[in-house]
Amino acid sequence: MTTLAKMLGVLIALLTIAAVPLLEPASAAGKLSLWRLKTYIPPADKILDANAQECAKKAGIELAIQTYTFDDMWTKFTAAIEAKTLPDIAELDAVGPARLANLGRLSDVSDVVAAATKELGPILSNADGAVKFGGKYYAVPHYAIPLVLFYRSDILTKVGAEPPDTWEDIQKVSEKVKKAGVQDFPNGFPWNRTGDGYDPAMSLLWSYGAAWVDKSGKFTGIPKAQGLEALKVVTRAYLADKTAAFDYLSWSGATNNEAFMAGKITFTPNGPSILFQEESTQHPLLKDTAIKVMPKGPAGRNLALTFVMNWAVPSDGKQQKEAKALIGCVMARENFVKYMTGSFRQMVPLFAKPLDDAYWNTPSGKIIVDTVKQGHPVGWPGPTTPAAAEVVSGNVLTDMITRVIVDKVAPEAAIDEANKRIKEIYDRLPVK
Amino acid sequence: MNALTDRHRERLLGYALIAPVAIFLAGLVAYPFLSAIYLSLTEKIVGYPAHFVGLKNYESLLESGRFRIVAWNSAAFTVGSIVVKLVIGMAMALALHHVVRGNQFIRGILLLPWVIPTVVIALTWKWLMDLFRGLINVALIDVGVVRSGVHWLGDPTLAMVSVIMANVWRGFPFFGVSFLAAMQTVPQELYDAAAVDGAGGWHKFWQITLPSIKGVVAVVTLLSTIVTLNDFNIVYIMTRGGPGAATHIFATYSYELGIMSQRWGLAMAASLASLPLVALLIVAVVRYLHREEE
Repeated sequence: MTTLAKMLGVLIALLTIAAVPLLEPASAAGKLSLWRLKTYIPPADKILDANAQECAKKAGIELAIQTYTFDDMWTKFTAAIEAKTLPDIAELDAVGPARLANLGRLSDVSDVVAAATKELGPILSNADGAVKFGGKYYAVPHYAIPLVLFYRSDILTKVGAEPPDTWEDIQKVSEKVKKAGVQDFPNGFPWNRTGDGYDPAMSLLWSYGAAWVDKSGKFTGIPKAQGLEALKVVTRAYLADKTAAFDYLSWSGATNNEAFMAGKITFTPNGPSILFQEESTQHPLLKDTAIKVMPKGPAGRNLALTFVMNWAVPSDGKQQKEAKALIGCVMARENFVKYMTGSFRQMVPLFAKPLDDAYWNTPSGKIIVDTVKQGHPVGWPGPTTPAAAEVVSGNVLTDMITRVIVDKVAPEAAIDEANKRIKEIYDRLPVK
Repeated sequence: MNALTDRHRERLLGYALIAPVAIFLAGLVAYPFLSAIYLSLTEKIVGYPAHFVGLKNYESLLESGRFRIVAWNSAAFTVGSIVVKLVIGMAMALALHHVVRGNQFIRGILLLPWVIPTVVIALTWKWLMDLFRGLINVALIDVGVVRSGVHWLGDPTLAMVSVIMANVWRGFPFFGVSFLAAMQTVPQELYDAAAVDGAGGWHKFWQITLPSIKGVVAVVTLLSTIVTLNDFNIVYIMTRGGPGAATHIFATYSYELGIMSQRWGLAMAASLASLPLVALLIVAVVRYLHREEE
């Protein structure tokens, strides 16, 4: 055997060995893959995994669980959509069902929803828009992490202010706090390029009657007069009264849990995870931390429900029956309540019965439940659509706000710019 | 005849030996690169087939005010980072060139930023520059330099300066070590002769050191320019492109378009927009190096 032949032999052998894992099927019989969000409440994640594994064990299925964070969810799903390697069971965010159903990549799970409804009561009507398209359910609502208004009750007492109920009130109280010299930048509303930015941005605009679609989900544009009013109330905090720092427009952490718990801000819109952190560490500010439903505006209290997770069964999977059965088992009353009550009030159900559970019968629990009941899906007053998803994920709304604050663009021009971008999105992704 | 056969065999063996590397390069570099160029010429939404649209994506970008902001930011970020890295890297090399005791130890310490993962560097700088709890602001307030925290990541200009600072901190050791290696190849006789002619340190640097290492300077600058222009982690972690779009650069903009908005065609066009500039830079540096060799 020549040296050349030996070398080629070794090369072919190496390439064959390297190719073996690629030939293995992604989902063999009796195996299911599940992707879920890694939340800020590790004990709840453990309960969910234990529930899912127990359900799989009963069904004689081997379950492989993978996790992602809010940051890398779409990186993972984008790759999987293109490579046709979506998992058997996917926990999708608020816009995921609309996007994947529109691609024809989700199975109809109306039967799973019907079974869950028997156990957990009807789905909240305001949650339907994110999971029901063309009369069929393409995802089962798992839970919502509602943004509530966190505020420092001790500081409000000190400056003689009532807990704010409107966007204007937040501004007024922030001015009082600043004038009293308690904090330099008490108004911790972030208008940055993350969900923490576009969730309150939707709540703000909708509360001023400045939605960009009609009830069918078709483009109408942000109405100028209402949009201007909404912009006025938030930009004043940065440009005139200076009760908010420009850092809140970045992703600096100056408005998040840590800043609040460090005593640097009076207000922040946040998921209930601050309560989890403060309770689990017996934080000194726990006694001075209070929550309230997010503020209302002239058009009412129209809150966004952006942080919602939903179970879906991608149609690529070969074991859809088993996948649906596993979701049904995880959503069975006993399992679901165990998960919910272990979530430090972070995971709020979107079915009626568990919301009536005594677990929520605390002052903060009632506010959290109220928030979820009043929330609206992305793209309200229409259903969630791929176009609405792109409006938020493309940061069109927060860009509109920061164009005025950072780039000093006139508010009218910022609204025109936003409407132009939104129209381009809806022209490209027409609502069916 | 026999010798010719041996030569053929040798040549075939050579091809066989480089084949794995060639296949890897074709698969991992050439294919993604050509695929990216093709995708940039298509309307490609994630999950849907791509439709060829020619240069439409590039036209859309050129008409987009947002893209112009991103292009300007990318230029500022890259030029700012490279200039400062060049200066600090050169200073580091000059200082170390004359250090005799503890030379290896100091080099090791100065190389640390280069070996630390970028994510750790970005998170550390983000914390250092935090408005309320950042070490820099706390220190400045404690020593009485400022009354309240500096808006490192909030002020649009300072935010750009901040991400440049983090990038410089990560990248200057590469410049320093490369320049130092080049300096050590400059014959001592040249400096001795210059000293006899009465040249001072400044003259020696301009007339001997810099001309002797300019090839390395050009290559290092080129490589770092390419890497910096495509940097993602530092900006994404420290500011997410904010405040507003004040630090949004090509990589973060492409990510937003491609992953968050699912528009791969446009995202590819945005990420390839700097390609002509980079290609020109490469051609210029290569031609310069060839001329120098001749």
